[in-house]
Formats: sequence, C-alpha cells, structure tokens
Amino acid sequence: MDDKIAEFTALLRENGLRVSMAEHLDAFRALEQVGVGEREVFKHALRATMVKRSVDLPVYDDLFDLYFSALGEAIRESGEGARELLHLDEAAFQKLMEQLAEQLKNLDIDLSAIARALLENDTGRLEQMIRQAARQANAQDIRRSFQEGRFSHTAAQNLGLGALTEELERIRDLLGTADLPADVLEALRRFIERRLQDLGDLVKRAVRLELEKHDQSQRERARLATLAEKSFYYLSEDEIRRMKEAVAKLAQRLKNVVCIRKRRAKRGKFDAKDTLRKNLQYGGVPFKIQFDRRIRDKPQVVVLCDVSDSVRNVSRFMLQFVYSLQDLYSRVRSFIFVSEIGEITRLFEESEISDAIEQALTGNIINVFAHSDFGRAFRAFHRDYLAAINKKTTVIVLGDARNNYNLPQEWVLRDVRERAKQVIWLNPESRLTWGFGDSEMDRYMPFCDVVEECRNLNQLYRVIDRLVS
Amino acid sequence: MFSSIEDVAQRFEAQSYICSRRIATVVYLATRLEKPILVEGPAGVGKTELAKVLAHALGLDLIRLQCYEGLDEAKALYEWEYAKQLLYTQILKDKISEIVGGAVSLREAVDHIAKEDDVFFSDRFILPRPLLRSITATHRNVLLIDEIDKADTEFEAFLLEVLSDFSVSVPELGTLHAKHIPLVVLTSNNAREMSDALKRRCLHLYIDFPPPEQELRIVRLKVPGIGERLGAQVVDAVHRIRQLDLKKLPSISETLDWAKTLTLLNVDRLDDELVNDTLSTILKYEGDIRKAQDELKSYVQKQKARAASDGQDDKEFLH
Repeated sequence: MDDKIAEFTALLRENGLRVSMAEHLDAFRALEQVGVGEREVFKHALRATMVKRSVDLPVYDDLFDLYFSALGEAIRESGEGARELLHLDEAAFQKLMEQLAEQLKNLDIDLSAIARALLENDTGRLEQMIRQAARQANAQDIRRSFQEGRFSHTAAQNLGLGALTEELERIRDLLGTADLPADVLEALRRFIERRLQDLGDLVKRAVRLELEKHDQSQRERARLATLAEKSFYYLSEDEIRRMKEAVAKLAQRLKNVVCIRKRRAKRGKFDAKDTLRKNLQYGGVPFKIQFDRRIRDKPQVVVLCDVSDSVRNVSRFMLQFVYSLQDLYSRVRSFIFVSEIGEITRLFEESEISDAIEQALTGNIINVFAHSDFGRAFRAFHRDYLAAINKKTTVIVLGDARNNYNLPQEWVLRDVRERAKQVIWLNPESRLTWGFGDSEMDRYMPFCDVVEECRNLNQLYRVIDRLVS
Repeated sequence: MFSSIEDVAQRFEAQSYICSRRIATVVYLATRLEKPILVEGPAGVGKTELAKVLAHALGLDLIRLQCYEGLDEAKALYEWEYAKQLLYTQILKDKISEIVGGAVSLREAVDHIAKEDDVFFSDRFILPRPLLRSITATHRNVLLIDEIDKADTEFEAFLLEVLSDFSVSVPELGTLHAKHIPLVVLTSNNAREMSDALKRRCLHLYIDFPPPEQELRIVRLKVPGIGERLGAQVVDAVHRIRQLDLKKLPSISETLDWAKTLTLLNVDRLDDELVNDTLSTILKYEGDIRKAQDELKSYVQKQKARAASDGQDDKEFLH
C-alpha cells in the first residue's frame, strides 16, 4: 500500500501538482488515522493532505479514479460481461460456477493461482497480478500509443498467458469427458474461452491506462504551450474560443501579480505631519512612525486598434485583454479604425466584453470592409479626439502599418507623442517584413517610444505586463 | 476530541450545520494530526461558520483574528498600552522622583529606574491581541484567522513562524510557549494564492456550493417554517441562477435569506411578480438581476404549467 501511494504521488507530481515531501508524509499520517478501508474517506484524506490549490482539484479527482479504480472496475465489468454472454441471471450463473467447481474437484484438477483468480473473477487478486505484470514490463514508461502493443505483449508474458492458455484448454478438454448435460458443458466451454479473452483485454487495458495517466500531462502542457505561441493569424474557430479563455486567465494572473507588486511599493521618507497626527493620543510622543506612502498612479490608456481583415484576430484579443484589466487603469478609451476611426468605449460600458467586441468588429461603428488607410484615420483622430490624450496617457496603437500606399501622415503621431506619456506600437507582423511593400512602419517608428512585435499570446502578455508595471 | 468522522458529522448537525463527509473527514484529521485547516471557497458557503461550529462542538473558546490589508504584527500579536504607561508615569511622578532622589549622577538615576522597568513592561501593560491570547490561553481553544487572503505576504510569513512553534517571544517578557496547541482554522476567499509554505503546513479544505439535495436539507433545517414546495422551488431556482454567467453567484447564506424572506411573506410557491420583487435579496448587481429575471421567468412559467396539469412530484424539482 505504501508503494502504491508513493507511486500515486509521483503521478500527481507528473501532472503538475506540487506535492512536497512533508505533504507526502502527512498523507501517510492521515491514513494512519482513518485507515484505508473506505474509498471515499481514503480519497478525502489524500486530497486534504496533498492537493492545496483549488485549480488542481479536478486533476486530482481524475487521476485518483484512473489510478485506484479504473482497472478494478474494468475487471469487475469483464466478470459481468461473461455472465451476460451466457444469458444467465445471477442465480443461474452462481449455480453454473458451483458446477464448475465441483467438476474441477472431481477431475482432481489443481488450478494455478492465476487460473483460479480468473475463473472465480477474484477482482482483488486479478488486479494485483495484472498490475505486477505491468510493472515488471515497465509499462509506466509508456509514452506513445504505438508502444501499447509491445508493452501489452511483455506484460502478458509476465503474467504467464501462454501457460495459462494451455492450462485452460486442458481443463476444457477434460470437462468434455465429464458427466454433465450438453448445454451446461457448452456454457462452461464458452465461459472459459471468454475469460481467457478477457484476460488478454484486461492486460491491454492496464497498459492503456498507464498511457493515459502519463500522456495526460504532456498533452495538456503541449496544448497550452502551442496556444500561447500560436500566431493570432492562424487560429481556427475552436482555437479562438480557447484563446478567449486563455486570455481571461492571463489577465487574471496579471492582475494578481500587479496587486502584489503594488503592495510592495517602497515606503517614502519620514512624514512628520502624519506621525504627529497619529500620535496625538500619546501626547505627541512618537510611538508609531509614519512614512510617506508612495502611491502609484493608475495609468490611463488610449487604445487604437486596426480592425482591417488582416489584423482582426489580434485586435479582438488585444481589446479583450485590455478590458479584462480595467481595474488596473483609471481610464480606458478605445478606438477602432480601418480608414475611418470610431470610438467604442461606450460599447464596453453598455455590454459585456465579448458582446462589445463582436459589435465593434461587425461594421456598425465604422466600415470594416474598407482598405486600410492609416493616414486618414490618424488625421481624423487628430481632428476629433486629440483632447483624450494628456500627459498621463499611454497610447497603444495596434496595427500592421500597411497603408495601401496612401499618405502616412506621421506628423499626427509626432503630435500625439508630445502630449502623451508614451506611445506604444504593436505590430502583429513579423519584424522582418516591416518597411517592405506598403508597410509604413519605418516612418512611424521614430515617433513611438516602444515598438513591439505582437503575434501571439505570450508577446501580448509581456507587453501588457510592461505597461502596468 | 472527536471519536470518529461520524461523531464530527453528528455533533455538527446537532448545531444545524450540515456538512459533507469530506468536510467531516478533514476536520477529524485536523484534530487528530493537530494541523491547521485552510478553508477555501466562494463567499458565503460557511467557512467562518465552520470554525464557530467546531468550537461549539468541542466546547472550546473561539478566538477570532480578522485579517485585512495592512494588518501587522502589532495588531495581531500584542501591543504595549502606551497610553496607560504614560498615564501611570504621570500619576507616579512623585514616587519616581523619590526613587531617583538619592542619585548623584545621571547614570545612577538611570540605574535606579532600570531596576523598576519591569514594572512598566509587564503583563499589566501588555495588550494581548488574538494570536497571543490564543497561545497563552489556559485552556485549549479554536483560533479562527478569517480572510487570510486579505492580509499581505509579510503577515503571512510572520504567521507561518507563529504557527510552526506556537511560541511568541516578547523581548521584555521572554518567550511564551503555548500550553495547549490551539486548533487553527484559516479561511480564504481565493482573492489571491497563499504562499506555498503556509499551504504546506495546513490541511486543505475546499468548500464549494452544495448539491441541491444538501442545500435543501440546510434550508429545511435553518428555516423551519418553510413550506415543502417553496423550499424545493427556492433551491432549484438558485441552482439555475448559479449556472448563469454572473458577477457574483448567490451563496448558501443568500439562499437562506431568500427562503426566510419568502416565508415571512407567507407564500407557498414562486411566481413571476414575487420573484422580481425579491430577487435583490440574492443578487447584488443590476446586471445579474436582469439576467436572472430572464432565466427565472421561463422557469416560473414552466412550474405554473406543471402545477396546472397536476400530478407533480416534489422530486421533479430537484434535477
């Protein structure tokens, strides 16, 4: 039992749960208190001592079932399956088993351990034997599905499947000579055949469970990694949906990080006035010293998103990200443009984030089917919305700067930069293509404080991280 | 102490606190292993209540430390009562000059005073805060550290120290060890992650919204006057609301509030108008109320239709 728990702990660790040595020992101590008799209590005890984050709870539940009960259930089911094959009810089946036992005694046949366990469907012993065989075959090293066959084969050999097959065939033949009615004989024969087949299947099942246990973690990790690295351009519908969840989670994480960072803000100088005030109750004797609290201003943000075809996906996530972090800014104003520019701040105040983004991108505010004209959009911004920018504002422009050979009007950006705290340009295109063809990136770059490539989630995260800190 | 997991569940139920087997198991383990419990979960599911009920079940005192941002050692552990000390000094000015009277030099004067300094830094002038009170208590007690996620990381580190040895060193008084290790319950609303070190010390208990059957039992226990059908409908309705995407999901305490409100209004079943009027007892944001109204409208229609067509079973409501 101790080994099993140690193995289980290793499995948890593999799947991302951080179980320390101390917690592992706690688990043992807890089991000393409550025993291992009741499955539910056993599960709860392990969970309380080894699973300390609520996000890990579903993973733990899956792994527990997979590890402790999946094989046992499979074995139980196989027993049921054998009974159903013979179209017998419980009572009749029981009688059949008794007849079998009697015949085996009469024929003076001594069953091997595995044969006995198999024919009586002794779930406990079967599970133990199969697990042992699988472990001897090193099935826990399995990583790919094409390795299943090899491991199954080795495990079956360890179990002695070959010798068992011969033994059961011999029994079947001997039963043929016994003094039993024909239908009973037939039933017994089919039963034995079926059980043999079941054992083969169970071994394969055990190996596949090992694969599932170990593959789960890798699959999950790989999937998450690629999503964060995947270029926004090449997302399928399904991935867009998952991306939304990932963005939401990332935003939450960023908020937590920023909160902790803020709290660690350094103390300022000794604040005499505040100290005196706080210590009036002590007659002015400074028992409690007060320091200047350096309050960090929440930044104000103005976001200009290019929503032309080529950049739409990125804009979508950018807007979602920025609005999810609303609490960290004192004011967010957002605009979208293709060749005209329009403000969408109100949309976010009135509807949910996802609804607002959808509305913005379907062409109600501006004509999203026009050809990109950055210059024109910038001029319109300068004419109508320049007042939105003051010295506390950070301006973020999201666009590929592909202007269709229209006038770039970079003076607008120069003006904006003079007024604002900083100007950040995020370009979803690869840096290598900037400046080629109709890209005006090289004209706009001199007027920006920060120019970043922003093609996938990780890059987006880094940019926003820098923005809030 | 508890004799078994069933004992825990029974004693809790005797105080109208219905808990799942999992909660009972963890509480039992905590008392046997003498480890703190970290209780996490959404607001209003009974985390603080758990500590109170635990104290009551074991007949122990409950000492409560409410955490907030900026909570520091002084407010949690102990403080000297400066005001009292100053007052005493003022009043005893004459006595003090007597003591110092004979001194010739400054050093002598200070020496005289120093001999008496343990008068001013003694038990008399110490203001014990919850942690110190819990440690120095003469009997075993339950220490509830509420909303630990609101405190900052410095406080957590300090708390870890205290929870490791259950001893506090007051420079003037020496080290005070706990005579009886208290039962510690920490609650967190999951606003932020606790540090790993703290989590490692504790047994983890996650209390989520209960399944409908359990919630119905709780409602029936805590709101005894409630009608059969109304109780089932309330629980069902709240469970539907919890499936929606809301800013703040209604918790058990809100369900109970609603149940009590409806019982006071002497209703025996939900209907449209009633729902609209009383929805603000369980939902606190306008946006949420609007969403829930739409959802419940269709639900109430269905219920009416079923009631009209007769042959309904209370069990049908709980699916």
